[in-house]
Amino acid sequence: MENLEGRLTKLALKGDQRAFAELVELYKDKIYHLGYRMLNNRHEAEDIVQETFLRVYRNLDRYDDNQKFSTWIYRIATNLCIDRLRKRKPTYSLDAELGDQEGTDGYSLIPSDNVTPESELLLSETQRTIYQAIDELPVKYRSVMILRYLQDLSLQEISDVLDMPVTTIKTRVHRGREFLRKKLGPRL
Amino acid sequence: MECKLAVSMMHDYLDDDLPGQQQRDLKEHLLSCPDCRAKFKELEQTDMLLFSLMHQSPGVSDDLVGRIMGALPPSRKERRFITWIKKHPALTAASVFLLVMLMSAVTLWKQDGQLVVKGSDLDQVVIQGDTVIVPSGKRVTGDLTVENGKAQVYGEVNGNVTVIDGSLYQASTAHISGQVKSIDQALSWFWYKVTNMFSDVAYR
Repeated sequence: MENLEGRLTKLALKGDQRAFAELVELYKDKIYHLGYRMLNNRHEAEDIVQETFLRVYRNLDRYDDNQKFSTWIYRIATNLCIDRLRKRKPTYSLDAELGDQEGTDGYSLIPSDNVTPESELLLSETQRTIYQAIDELPVKYRSVMILRYLQDLSLQEISDVLDMPVTTIKTRVHRGREFLRKKLGPRL
Repeated sequence: MECKLAVSMMHDYLDDDLPGQQQRDLKEHLLSCPDCRAKFKELEQTDMLLFSLMHQSPGVSDDLVGRIMGALPPSRKERRFITWIKKHPALTAASVFLLVMLMSAVTLWKQDGQLVVKGSDLDQVVIQGDTVIVPSGKRVTGDLTVENGKAQVYGEVNGNVTVIDGSLYQASTAHISGQVKSIDQALSWFWYKVTNMFSDVAYR
């Protein structure tokens, strides 16, 4: 039997915009969370959502029914995030002072996250520690851990998304988990 | 069991990737090794914390869906046409060439309303305004072509008479030995131009 996403992509391919809007509704939050955890910035996460769906739309005719739609869209989104992180790194360091004014560094240029004080308070120390630890993970571990824990993907599904052997994914999950355990150690 | 192996099995267990028999082996080891027991507890809690906390992220902006839908390229039908073009470059090139030819031909056709008279023996012909007259008693040897004008034949023509975008009047006294052609359709005009071009080339 055909699944919902398969049917929606077919309709969207025929030019049905409402079907595509439904796909957006189904996946926008998942992609947003993925982007947010990968990039740790709301604006960039929204950019990722937008770019991902644009790519999905452009390549609808290349979508292969035999693979899960989620695998396909996560692959697009993860690749976009990794590209962004790669571009971000060598060009500038956030910690470097900009020189022209004292006390200004790269962070001051990034549009601030408008987290309301309330939602800020709701973050417990443990939560903050976890998010910080995830942010400290090298990208290749971070992407695997996010797919595993945020998107609840199995090792096999992660290997499909990242196009890597399951054994590699397994090693990365183990190491990532070990890293986070050490970071959280005192709080457990 | 070595502790190193046990740790690897703990991870496999957390990944739902540890067969039943090995689960029992691990449990046995944990019961006998307090260090591993502590480590397993930590790993399990890390795992559970990650599962529960990863799902708490700020929500998307309300207008995001609208922005996404607004940023989509125009309807797919149009794009299908473009992909068709990409798939058939030769056909596209040929049809564009034909279109350009046709356009230039059509513009040429409409271009001038000027009277043009062509023939090898125009001395015998009288032109009044846009009317070309072959007076009675006169004899024109060779073809006569009139463009954008009226032709009135009272005399004799030893050849073809062709009238383009105009009218032909043949008096009862007229005698035309060749063919008489009247052309006022774009297509036949085009055909005339093409055949003319070829015969011109052939005669040169």
